[in-house]
Order: sequence, then structure tokens, then C-alpha cells
Amino acid sequence: MITFEGAAKHYPDGTVAVAGLDLTVESGRTTVFVGPSGSGKTTSLRMVNRMVAPTSGTVLVDGEDVRSQDPARLRRSIGYVIQQAGLFPHRTVRDNIATVPLLLGWGRSRARARAAELMESVGLEPSQAKRYPHQLSGGQQQRVGVARALAADPPILLMDEPFSAVDPVVRTGLQDELLRLQAELRKTVLFVTHDIDEAIRIGDRIAVFGPGGELAQYDTPERLLTHPVDDFVESFIGYDRGVRRLAFFPANELALREDVLLDDQDTVERALNTVDTAGQPWALVVDAQRMPLGWVDVDRLRHEPSGLELGRLTLTAYGHTFDVERDSLRAALDAAVLSPAGRAVGVDPDGRVLGVVSQADLGNAIWSVS
Amino acid sequence: MNAVWDWISAVADWAAANWNPPGDQERGVWPRLVEHARLAYLSILIGLAAALPLGLACVRWTRLYPPVLTGVNVLYAVPSIALFFLMLPYTGFSDWTAIVPLALYTLVILLPNVVDGLRQVPDHVRQAAVAMGFGPLRRLLTVETPVAVPVIIAGLRVASVATISMVSVASLVGLGGLGQLILSEGFRRQFDAPIVVGIVLTVVLAFVTDALLVLSQRLLTPWVRRDGRRRKRKQRAAVPAGEAAAVDAGADPTQSAETGNGAHPWMS
Ligand SMILES: Nc1ncnc2c1ncn2[C@@H]1O[C@H](COP(=O)(O)OP(=O)(O)OP(=O)(O)O)[C@@H](O)[C@H]1O
Ligand SMILES: [Mg+2]
Repeated sequence: MITFEGAAKHYPDGTVAVAGLDLTVESGRTTVFVGPSGSGKTTSLRMVNRMVAPTSGTVLVDGEDVRSQDPARLRRSIGYVIQQAGLFPHRTVRDNIATVPLLLGWGRSRARARAAELMESVGLEPSQAKRYPHQLSGGQQQRVGVARALAADPPILLMDEPFSAVDPVVRTGLQDELLRLQAELRKTVLFVTHDIDEAIRIGDRIAVFGPGGELAQYDTPERLLTHPVDDFVESFIGYDRGVRRLAFFPANELALREDVLLDDQDTVERALNTVDTAGQPWALVVDAQRMPLGWVDVDRLRHEPSGLELGRLTLTAYGHTFDVERDSLRAALDAAVLSPAGRAVGVDPDGRVLGVVSQADLGNAIWSVS
Repeated sequence: MNAVWDWISAVADWAAANWNPPGDQERGVWPRLVEHARLAYLSILIGLAAALPLGLACVRWTRLYPPVLTGVNVLYAVPSIALFFLMLPYTGFSDWTAIVPLALYTLVILLPNVVDGLRQVPDHVRQAAVAMGFGPLRRLLTVETPVAVPVIIAGLRVASVATISMVSVASLVGLGGLGQLILSEGFRRQFDAPIVVGIVLTVVLAFVTDALLVLSQRLLTPWVRRDGRRRKRKQRAAVPAGEAAAVDAGADPTQSAETGNGAHPWMS
């Protein structure tokens, strides 16, 4: 547990970087500091490993004032990841990761074995062990940075905008990886970002910092979206917070229709029978393994020869699907909005169709959770 | 055409005849070359040995650097001949008369390189080292110094060429290796061949030394990106080494995507 007790940082030039922060970071959870540039996130984070000394107040780690510990010893027990990774250019990937174990006197072979283990857990290939940092992509460098921070198995991990210098696709991958690692390792993670979406994705708790180094709100992601305390927090979260909030409701309670699923072996005649009973304007054609093939519009079906197999028709692309067990209402809504048929295709983890849901049915589900 | 050829062969004949005359150690070409190399290399090594700790100290205690830099620059403004003569009363006609001033010049050239090299370590790298629990001294020696090696060697290359050419000036005080061929054999006797041989061998020595330095850089810094073309000196000075390497390769971390190696378990 990390406790900030009235921790403040005033610079001699009059800048108030952090104005008296009172906050408790729970152990084993991910706490995100989010806020506009210059709101004191980095400064607060660095108070934990004594890279910044508060001008007043204290920071406690597990009840012990950080100032009572030797800075170098303290820092070796706290992992730290930064935006540009901060890798040592003159050391190989393996030796970069082994840095803290070597500082702790583990011995080279044990430190290297540990590095190899970590490379695997952050998704790096063993063949990359002897490369130098400049031979890696930005995303891979960040993975090395994370592995290096985890090397000595510190209970606390400080991460300062670790994923903000990579492109969105890579960033999402790195976030997923962090979530997976965290589910396994249960570190006390303090994560700084100015991307509210990232904060909501990663955080168990979110601290929103306002201008002037003030803590504006400290809450769970869901409460932050439903009950922003003031105009600043509301505008910081963004106008579409209503839609984002749907990310907290699972899609598995949606009523999926199965009566509009057609087999690609079926004839047009049989298909028309089925859809007339269902009374729906669109039907989804699936193959023998129930993998989706595409949408067919009922009006068009009426103009096709009745003996034709559906598999021979040109179908309308089914677009995005959503995973019924794992995705949220937000993903389902997104899939429905983007679908040419105005309907979202729900699938199981293997991609097999479980059913479809229309925008109207989704609307009802959203209404009921709001 | 024929005249040029005759001249070249006359010079070569002279060099061969005087290469290593037995019994006349002073006047041979080979002993002069060895002396030249000895004076130059000792000066460079001593200059480097002085520049490293002084540079480290200037980086550790930043207030030291401005006065030290001014001091060595003033020294650089003193003509080398004057320094050689100033040394005479103390060191006589020993090697040290040449080595002390030359080592000082090497120091003057190297010191800014050492300091800039140590300072150009990217800030995020330094921050990361602090955050991982490196103390100041350990950080200086195990992170900043190795990262500075390419810049230090770039300085050494400039300093070594300058020193090798300046050794000749020491012939005015009776030292000076190949300079002796130029001054006493050639100039005083109005004779071309020793002058040409002296110049050619000085240039060859400078080339060989430079090649050795380039080679040693390759061995010492396997981590520096090399893609065939040499980076411009100006660019090297302006951009920290690590970043210059990244920019050079188009591997700017803000732009690179992870594509093409399929090592990402969650994407499959
Ligand atoms: N050494 C310093 N001297 C004076 N002011 C400083 C110093 N370091 C930081 N500041 C100021 O303190 C404030 C908070 O800085 P901090 O780096 O904590 O912000 P941040 O929330 O991390 O911002 P960003 O999102 O841009 O990283 C800023 O206004 C900054 O200019
Ligand atoms: Mg910051």
C-alpha cells in the first residue's frame, strides 16, 4: 500500500507541481493517475521512489516513510517504466533486463536466466536476447522496459506514460499484455497517462489530476464515468462518456436471435420460409461450422431462383463481430452501428455464431442498465 | 613525364639507401619513424589518461568545467614551438620535452569531447538508471562512460592526426622523428628526397593510426548502429548518440509499428 499524506511539491520559481496530495493506493491493484499536461502526475509518481522529494507532507510505502530508506535500496525494490523505455543503448536486451538483479548481486548466470524467463512473459522472442535496443521496434523496446522493471520481482511498479510513444494498434496490444501480466502477478501498479481511455481500460482506480496539481477525483472507472464530481472532470472524460460507460456491462445478457441464421447449403425457398416466420428484414448465412459468411437481405432473396443454394449468392459483408462471453455492451453496440444490416453478430471465443442482435434490441438492453 | 618518374625513383632510392644505415642510428629513416610514432603515441595516451578523469570530474562537479575549459583553451593558444623551448630548461633534450606539450594539446582537444560525450547520454536513459538504483558514481562509470565512447574516439581521431603532424615541429629542439628528416636532412641541405619521404611517412602514420582507432571503436562499441555510411560530424554533435542512431535508421520509436515478426501471442 502506498499512502500520500499531504504530499506537496513547490518549486523555488513558485510553480506548484503538486498541491497537497492525500491518496491511498491499494496493494495488488492498478491505480492510474490521469490529467492534463503539467498537472503533477509525474512529480507525484516520483515521490514514491524518492526521485522527487516532497516539500511538505510524506509518502509511505506499507506504512513506512520512504525518506527513512536508502534511496538506491528503495529504488531497487520499485520497478520503473518510462515513455521512451530508457533502455541502455550499450547493453543487449538480456543485459538490460538483468540490470537490477545484477545490482542486487544475483550473479550473472542467475540474472540471465531470470531475464530469459521475463522475455518470455512479456512476449519477446529468445532470439532477441542478444540484440541491442536500437535493433528493436518501439513496441518491443517498451516490452524490454517492462521486463526490466519486473526483473527483481518488485512489489511495486511505477509506469510513467509507458505506452504513449507507440502507435494505437501496438498500444492496445501492450495494454492487453499488461492486463494479462497484472492478473497473474498482482503488483501494486501506479500508472500515469493523459489518455482517459487508457486509464479506464487499465485502472482499477483512477485519480484525475486537475490544473495546479490538485486531485480532482479519485474513483473507480465506472463511478468516474457515471458521477464526475465537477465540470473539469466531466469535460476531461469527454462528451461520449455515456457510450464509454457501456464498457462496464457485459454483453452476455443480451437476447440473441437464432431464428435468422441460415445454412449455406439451404435453398432460397427454405430460407424464405425461415425468414418469413422470423419476420426480420435480414438473415445471416453461416457455414457448417457456424462461422459467419455474410448477410442476405430478404427483399433480394425474393428475386432469386428458389432452388439456388445460399452459398452461391453474393452476400453482404458481416463486418465486426462481438464475443458474447468476453465483450461489453459497448463492443456489441459498436458492431451493430457499423454493420450494414444494423445488426451485430455475437460469436463464441472460436468465432462461431451464437446469434444476432438488432440495434433496437440493443437499445432496450442499454435502456435497462442506464 | 619521364622527369617526374626519375624524381620519384630518386626519392625512393634515397629512402632505401638511408632506411636503416648500420652504425648511423641518428640519420636513418626507420629509426626516425619509430621515434615519431613513439613520441606521438605516448603523448596521445598520456593526454587521454588525463582527459578521462578530468572530464569525469567536470561532469560530476559541473562548476569545475567552465574554468577548466578556459584554462586548457588558453594553453592551446600558446604556439607549440614556444612550449617546446619553455620545456628545455626542465627536461633538456629528452623525449619529455616533446611529450609534455603534445600531451597537453591532446588533452585540450579531448576534454570537450569527453565532457560532451558524457553529457549527451539521453535524459531518459539517465533517469532510468537513477530509478533503478544506480548511485552517481556507478552511473557515471557504467552507463555514461560507455555511451560516450564513440564521441571520445571521434575526439581521439582528431587529436591523433594533430599530434602526429605536430611532432615534426619538435625537431626544432632536436627531437621530432620524421621532422628531423624534413628539417636537418632536407631543408638545411636544400635536398628534396628527405622532405618528401618525411611527409609521405607522416601521412602514412596518421592514416594507419586513424584506421586503428576506427577498428578499436568497432570492437569497443558493437552496440552502435552502423549502416555503411558515416554520420556527419555536425549531426553527431547535435544529437545524442542513441537517438541519432534511431533517427538514422528511421527507427523513431514514435513511428515504428510492430509488424512482421509475428511474435505477439495476443494477435494470433
Ligand atoms: N525542476 C522544476 N522546476 C520548476 N518547475 C518544475 C520542475 N519540474 C517540473 N516542474 C513543473 O511542475 C509541474 C508538474 O510537472 P509534472 O511533470 O509532474 O507534470 P505531468 O502531470 O507529469 O505532465 P505531463 O503530462 O506533461 O508529463 C509542471 O508545471 C512543470 O512545469
Ligand atoms: Mg509527466
